[in-house]
Amino acid sequence: MQRTLCIGILLVLLSACSKTDDIPPADLDAAYPVEPGGTLVDAMSGEPSGLIPMIAGESAASAIASHIFNSLLRYDRNLEPEGELAKSWQVSKDQKTITFKLKPSLKWADGTPLTSADVLFTWQLVTDDKTRTPYAADYKLVTKAEAPDAQTFRVSYAQPYAPALESWAGLQILPRHLLQNQDINNTPFARKPVGSHYYQLENWSNGERISLVRNPNATQGPPKIDRLVSRFIPDPASQFLELMADNIDVMNLNPIQYARIVPARPEMTQKIALYKELGNGYTYLGFNLKRAPFDDVRVRQAINYAIDKQELIDGVLLGLGEPVAAPYKPGTRWVNPQLKPYAYDTAKAKHLLKAAGYEDHDDDGILDRNGKPLAFEILTNQNKQREMSAVLIQRRLKEIGIDAKIRVLEWASFLGRYIKPGDFDVVVLGWSLSLDPDQYSIWHSSQNKPGQFNFINYNNPRVDKLLEQGRLELDQDKRMKIYHEFSRILLEDSPIVYLYEGYGLPAIHKRVRGIDNPAPPAGIGWNSQDWYIPSILRRNEISAQ
Amino acid sequence: MTRYLLKRLFWMVPLLVGISLISFLIMHLAPGDITTTEAGFNPKASEESRQKLRKLYHLDEPLLTQYGYWLQRMGTLDFGTSFATHQRPVFWEKKDEHGNEQKGLIQDALPITLLINVLSLGLIVIVALPLGVISALHQNGPPDRAITIFVFVGFAVPGFWLALMLMYWLGVAHDWLPISGLHSLDYEKMGVLAQIVDSAKHLAIPVFISALGGLAGISLFVKNGMLDVLHQDYITTARAKGLPENTVVYRHALRNAMLPLITLLGLSIPGLIGGSVIAESLFAIPGMGKLFYDAVMMRDFPVIMGILTIGAALTLIGNLLADIAYAWADPRVRRGVGG
Repeated sequence: MQRTLCIGILLVLLSACSKTDDIPPADLDAAYPVEPGGTLVDAMSGEPSGLIPMIAGESAASAIASHIFNSLLRYDRNLEPEGELAKSWQVSKDQKTITFKLKPSLKWADGTPLTSADVLFTWQLVTDDKTRTPYAADYKLVTKAEAPDAQTFRVSYAQPYAPALESWAGLQILPRHLLQNQDINNTPFARKPVGSHYYQLENWSNGERISLVRNPNATQGPPKIDRLVSRFIPDPASQFLELMADNIDVMNLNPIQYARIVPARPEMTQKIALYKELGNGYTYLGFNLKRAPFDDVRVRQAINYAIDKQELIDGVLLGLGEPVAAPYKPGTRWVNPQLKPYAYDTAKAKHLLKAAGYEDHDDDGILDRNGKPLAFEILTNQNKQREMSAVLIQRRLKEIGIDAKIRVLEWASFLGRYIKPGDFDVVVLGWSLSLDPDQYSIWHSSQNKPGQFNFINYNNPRVDKLLEQGRLELDQDKRMKIYHEFSRILLEDSPIVYLYEGYGLPAIHKRVRGIDNPAPPAGIGWNSQDWYIPSILRRNEISAQ
Repeated sequence: MTRYLLKRLFWMVPLLVGISLISFLIMHLAPGDITTTEAGFNPKASEESRQKLRKLYHLDEPLLTQYGYWLQRMGTLDFGTSFATHQRPVFWEKKDEHGNEQKGLIQDALPITLLINVLSLGLIVIVALPLGVISALHQNGPPDRAITIFVFVGFAVPGFWLALMLMYWLGVAHDWLPISGLHSLDYEKMGVLAQIVDSAKHLAIPVFISALGGLAGISLFVKNGMLDVLHQDYITTARAKGLPENTVVYRHALRNAMLPLITLLGLSIPGLIGGSVIAESLFAIPGMGKLFYDAVMMRDFPVIMGILTIGAALTLIGNLLADIAYAWADPRVRRGVGG
C-alpha cells in the first residue's frame, strides 16, 4: 500500500518534469522585420539596494535606474555629450554659467509634466546635507541654481568647471511632486520609482528579480522591447548555465567562457552571439611614491620595462584586452595617439636599475643597494584577474633580480587597513574611467590625504598645473591638448604601470536583433532601445488573460 | 519547577547581552565600515561626503556608545534599519507615517531558509531511517556495505560540484528542472497547483544537495542505535514469544532506537535558521546565508547584529527547552543536585 503510494507520487513528479510543448525551432540566423514587443531577460549578480541612483550607488542599482530615469545630458555612440531631457545647452562667455533648455512637453510616467522645477529639486536634493549620498561633491560647486521658467534651468559656478557637463549627464532627475516633503533616505519611492525614461517598474520580487515595462510617456520615444526582466543570480557559473539553458538572453562572459567554452560548443554558438566592447576601466600596478625605492623614477621605469603587458593580456585575458598608455578609453579624443606603452625590454630595465645603484653584490640573484636587497610586496584584493597578473609580474621581476611577494586581501580590509593609511609598497588595482577627462582627484598632489584617491602620493607640479587648467577649460579642443600633455608626462613619470584594459564580453541570444556590431566606443548597449525580438523567436509566455 | 524555570530565564538575559557585546566588538574589529564598501573607491565620492555618512550612521562615535545605541533600540525590540539596503528594516516590516510598508530583510529571507532546511531535514529522516535499519539488520553484509559507501560518498562529495553537475544534467542537458531561482518568470500567472509544482521543481535540487551531506550522520546514528537495541534481552524475549520479525524490528526495536535520534534532531533546531552561502549563491536563493554573508562583506552592522542576536536567542531557547525536558525527566537536575 505504502509502496504503491510512493511510486505514484514519484510518477506524478516525473510527469510534471517532462516537457509537453515542443515547437519546431525557428531559424535563428534568418532576417526578420523590426517589430515591437517581447521580453528580454538578463542576469545580474547583485540586487539593487534601492532605485534612487544618488543614494543606492552600486552598479546593480544604476544599471536598472538608467532604464527608469533621465538626465539632462547623455553620451552618444561616440561618447560625445548630447541632450537627453535638455534640447540644448549654452555656456556663457565667462564659462561660469550653463543654461539648459528642456525639450517641450516632457512628462513623468504618471502623466505629470516634467519641468525645470524637477531639475532644480533634484539638485537641491543631492546637495542637501541630510541626503545620504557620496556623490554630492560635483554639485556643491554650483553657487547658484535657478529655474526662471518651466523650460529653463541655469547653474552658475564660482569659476569655470569643465567636468560640469559630465556631472549633468550623471545626475538622474527625480520627480518633485512625488518626493517633496519625503525623507529621501528611506522613502518607499526607492522601491516604487516613477521616472521618465523608456521603462517603468512593473514588479520587484525581493531577492529574485525586477521587471520593467515600457513607459507610455517615455520622454525619448517608445523602446521596441516591451519588458525587461533582471534576475539576481549571484554565481557566475549558475548564470552561465542559465544562458546555456536559454533562460536568460544577456550575460557578460569572462575570457575563458568567451574564448574557450562557448566556441567549443556548437549548440551554444548556434543560438548565442558573442560581442566585444571596450571595457570601462584599466588595471594597473601602482607604486607607493613615498617609499624608497619607488621615489626614484628610474626604478619605476625599470619595473615598467620589465613587465610584459602582452603576456598579461594573453595569459590573464586570453588576448581579450588592449595595452594602454593613457588613463582614457581607447578610441576617444582624450587618448594621445603618440603615446605607446613601455615595451618589454629587460636589458633596458637592468640598465636603469644599475643607474639607480642596484647591482647584485652578494650573488644571491637579487639586486641590492647599500646592502639592502630590492624586495617588496605586491598587494591586491580578491580578484582573479588581478591575482593572476600579480603572479605573472612576480615572475618577470624575478628575472631582472627583484624579489616580490604577493599578498591578497578582502576588499574592505584592503582599503581600510592598507590603502587608506598608505601602508603598502606596490598595489595591483583598477581604475574605472569616467567619460570626462578630468582626473584631478586621482593625480593632483592635494588629493593625497587618507581616504582620498591619490593614495600613491603622486606629486608633479607640472601635472598639477595641467589638471587645474583642464578643469577650467570648456573648449573641447583646447582641453584635449591639455590632457594629451598630461598623459604624456604621466607615462614618462611612470607612477603607475598600465597593465591592460580588458574588453567587455557580452553574450546575447540570437533572438535579440538590432544590435550595433562591432560595438561603438559607447558599447553595444548604447542603442538598446532599438533592439527588438521578432515574435517568432520569442519565448513562450503565458498570456495575461 | 517554576523556580528553576525562572532562574534559567533570568540567566538568559546577561548571557544574551554578553553574546551581543562580543559579536558587536568582533564585528567592529574588522577594518572598514559601510562607507568604505559602498562607493568606497569611486573618485566621484569625496572623503567629506563619506565623513558625513559616518556621522549620520553614528560610526564616528566610540564603540561603546554605538553599542549603547544598539542596546537602547534592542530594549524596545527594534532591530534597526539596514545601512546597505536603503534603510530597509532588519527584522520585520515597518509602516512609516505615510502608511507605506517596508518588508524586513530577515522577514524575507527566513521563511525561504526555514522551508529548505525543514524539507531537507525531513528528507534526511525519511531516507536515513530505512537505510539505518537495513544496515543494522544486515550488519557487515553487502546491503550494509553498499549503504555505508553510498552515505559516505554523499558526505564526502563537494556539494557545490555536485550541484553544478545536477544543474547541468537536469537543467541544461535535459529540460527537466529549473537551474536557479525560486519561481518561474510567469509564476504570478499560474494556477495554484501549477504554482506548487513550480516551487517544488525549483526546490528539488537545493533540497537534495543539502540533504545528501546530512545522510551519513543520521543513518549511522540509526544503525548504531538499532544494533544496541537488537542485542537487548527484551528483543530476545519478543522473538522467543514468537512475534513476527517485522513486529520485533519495527514496533519493539525501532521505537526505542529512535529516542536518541529525537534528542539529536531537537539540538539541530537552531541550525534551521542558518543557510549555506555557497548553495544559496549557486541556486540564487535569497536566504539567510546570503543575507549574512553580504552584510558582512558590506559591513552592514545592523543586519549582522540582527542575525547574530536572533541566532543566539534561538540557541539559548533551544538549550532551555532541552534542559526543561531533562528537568522534567530527572528530578536531580531540577533540584540542582551536584552543581
